[in-house]
Amino acid sequence: MKKPAVPVVMHDFAAQQKEVAFNLGMPNFRIQYFRGPVWGKTNEQIRKQVMEGGNPITGRPVMQELVENLTRPLAAEERRTGEVKKDLGPGTYTGTPEELQKLFLEKRYTDFLPVELPTEEKVAEMLKSTSREPGEVLGRMNPGSEAGETWTYTVKTAAINAVMAGAAPEYFPVILALGSTGMTAVNVSDNGFMAGAVINGEIRDEIGLNYEEGAVGPYAHANTTIGRAWSLLSINGGNCGKVGTTYMGTIGNPMNLIGIIMAENEEKSPFRPLSVRRGFRKGENVVTLFMGWGILSAKNWAATVWGPNMNYPEIIKEIYGTQDGWLFGTCAVLSPPIANFVRDAGYDTVEKFTEWVTGRPPGAKPAVGGNLNSGIRNAGGTFTVIVTGGSNNNYFSMGGMVPSRSVQIDEWR
Amino acid sequence: MKLRIAVTTVLCLGLVFGVSMLSHQTHAQGKRAALSGGPASMPEITVLNPMGTPPPIRLVPQAPRLDTLDGKTIYLINTGYIGTDRFMDETAKWFRANYPETSIVYRDNQSGAGLSSLSDALWAEIAEKGDAAIVGLGH
Repeated sequence: MKKPAVPVVMHDFAAQQKEVAFNLGMPNFRIQYFRGPVWGKTNEQIRKQVMEGGNPITGRPVMQELVENLTRPLAAEERRTGEVKKDLGPGTYTGTPEELQKLFLEKRYTDFLPVELPTEEKVAEMLKSTSREPGEVLGRMNPGSEAGETWTYTVKTAAINAVMAGAAPEYFPVILALGSTGMTAVNVSDNGFMAGAVINGEIRDEIGLNYEEGAVGPYAHANTTIGRAWSLLSINGGNCGKVGTTYMGTIGNPMNLIGIIMAENEEKSPFRPLSVRRGFRKGENVVTLFMGWGILSAKNWAATVWGPNMNYPEIIKEIYGTQDGWLFGTCAVLSPPIANFVRDAGYDTVEKFTEWVTGRPPGAKPAVGGNLNSGIRNAGGTFTVIVTGGSNNNYFSMGGMVPSRSVQIDEWR
Repeated sequence: MKLRIAVTTVLCLGLVFGVSMLSHQTHAQGKRAALSGGPASMPEITVLNPMGTPPPIRLVPQAPRLDTLDGKTIYLINTGYIGTDRFMDETAKWFRANYPETSIVYRDNQSGAGLSSLSDALWAEIAEKGDAAIVGLGH
């Protein structure tokens, strides 16, 4: 608009704001920092603690600086034009394995755990699991909001990160399907989002995904390393998850390490698989992406009917009713015994159960409100059922997780 | 020095601009000394850089500054983060007390939180009727 504008931002975001300004072509953009947050403060507290306080970075009075940012003539570097590129280092590194592990750690190529070092030979082996060209652009990813620029990565980039994650080549089509969506596994939000995926189809057994006991945890090589590969691809291919610049989680989320990679227990579920409910044929290899806060044992929530005589459908409905589903809706990950309790209570389809739990007729779309700055449409009370896990007890988990895209895996073979 | 770095002599222009975010992407040559120390008998291997590709960045000059605030109109923009309304309310009071010749216009973002949810109409209004803007980005 060619008029001077000064954003005011709490100083904790300074590094991130600097990166955003750089990405937008204004590396010396004038930003006014203050000591925040202002949320929860009274007018008087804001006046005394924020406005009459100093900029924590410069130590100078906030309001005086603000006026100067609007009136002080521009320096030469603030008027500069042209194009700049970031230096991402060389295409290869050579050293001993110990040196390279240290290098990757220092450069933040890792999730802070040792990685399988991506030699050309191992990456070539990974690439044998797909007919796609190594140089094909696989996806474009940003950290999930205007805070970050959008990076591009290729099939080979995904293969490098899959090797680093320790994934077996036969998992690679799933990793490519995930990467093709451009959805980050490590969202920038200060709210601490996580990402997950549900895999349906014959590929579950083909590559050894666990959908029995421990199905949502790191208890199988395929589930664990596919999730880690997605996270590493997000870190390296999409430049996500860098605290201070592309990651702002106030508390963070441990599920960002490997996400939640689930395969549905289709054989023991009384319901149609998630992928079939989303329009794919049974047996088709499909991965459905999720985003949210994650899941916890259903026992985490207070439910009035929890006792010797269990009414599982009622418990699920009660949790749905008490959970704030505005952003990510509610996701119920049911073990087969719980799913059977639901069926035996008269809900022989997920659709019938959803109608009863949410109070919405079949096909009715949940109320959808605003559009968050993260680009995520709020879920407005969606209810999603996934059946997985063992049958050794009547446990299940629930939480805020909303499904987004479903992708055919075989397209990436 | 056991680490050999292949390629790259391209200096990062970003570093010329003093951007701290690039510190973790330090020029590879500078790391060689610090990374030596592995057992001498351990063979060297060559591995691939796992990074994707960022978009090119076109530098944009900032808008010229005001010579004075007197007689000017400043828009205070609340992008919708909680508490920004109170912050802007106090900011307006401060300007009215300290710059009585400056007009203050407050605008509230109704469509959600964040800069990207501000309407084109609001930006057009600021461009047409305002001389400057102070935008509350949170939190």
